[in-house]
Amino acid sequence: MPQDSRLVALDDGALARRIAEAGAAPDSAAETELYRRLGPRVRLYGLRHLRDRQAAADLVQQVLLMTLERLRAGKLREPERVASFVLGTCRMTVLEMRRGTRRREALLETWGDAAEAFEAPEPLALHPDRLAGCLEALSERERSVVVLSFFADKQADEVGAELSISGGNVRVIRHRALARLRECMGAGEDER
Amino acid sequence: MTCADPIGFETLAAYWLGEVPEKREAMLEEHLFGCVYCTERLEGLAVLAAGVRAAVKDGKVNMVVSEPFVEAMKQAGLCLREYRLEPGGSVNCTIRADDDAVISRIRAPLAGVKRLDVVRMQGGGEPDVRLADVPFDAETGEVLMIPSAAWLKTMPAFTMRMRLIAVGEAGETQIGDYTFNHSPS
Repeated sequence: MPQDSRLVALDDGALARRIAEAGAAPDSAAETELYRRLGPRVRLYGLRHLRDRQAAADLVQQVLLMTLERLRAGKLREPERVASFVLGTCRMTVLEMRRGTRRREALLETWGDAAEAFEAPEPLALHPDRLAGCLEALSERERSVVVLSFFADKQADEVGAELSISGGNVRVIRHRALARLRECMGAGEDER
Repeated sequence: MTCADPIGFETLAAYWLGEVPEKREAMLEEHLFGCVYCTERLEGLAVLAAGVRAAVKDGKVNMVVSEPFVEAMKQAGLCLREYRLEPGGSVNCTIRADDDAVISRIRAPLAGVKRLDVVRMQGGGEPDVRLADVPFDAETGEVLMIPSAAWLKTMPAFTMRMRLIAVGEAGETQIGDYTFNHSPS
């Protein structure tokens, strides 16, 4: 669906208010825009806390359908604070998912058709050969730190213990290596 | 699109890897949920992390790794072939189509070594390649090297010699030579 430039110009709160004020006739364009906008934030939260792509995709659907449900029903007291509401719902839902609660099925029974209407954009993948070339251009120690850190999502202290160096040293090497990788991949601006 | 107070990339990496204390993590997440710019930067990191995982799984990188990393590869379901070499030793080695990685366990007396370099002696008029400051486990006396499986699978029969060199304040000490006789499967 093409993006509506008037909706894109609205901030999250104004968009949420518009959905809340639509009443009985849902504003599907505004709902789609909110889903498109908040989907990546929820997916990243899911990936960070659940470390599973499918579980993160489930989280996006569950949290955003619940948010739209509350907005439509006028049950979100402060639509301007929709981002905070979504974050809070993410936290609660991840706890429930870890406990194995199957709330998603119940939500999908109510929202099954609507869920198919919304799509959060998929992240772009990096060109594998180019990334491999950039990894090869790192020093041996930088490459080891990067692969040990990100293959199994290990913290600096764990990587340090495996390489017999301090966690602080790992963070320094990791920072330098990531900066070099991003520069090599063409995304190294405003490095901090 | 900008942010008046963007989260630094190293902080994003620390957040992604779960190194940030709970209270700080909650603050970072509040910021991320309200900031498209920082979300996009985190997305960039997540994509990079996924790319690194894929590069390892697809055998596209040469790596010097740790024993727990080898265990993580096994747990990820990767099919590993291992060779063990003692100083002065040689091994006939190969890689099969269904192997995801070949691990060379290069044994050496590494107690007290501060820095270890590896020299790949290419032969055939090719210049030697020196890998400076490679990670090693002094306790077990092993260097775990994983060549790019994707590259290895394209190679005809060849012989590669490797030398470990300890580098210290007093200079360099040759620790051992190793010979790999590769043949395609």
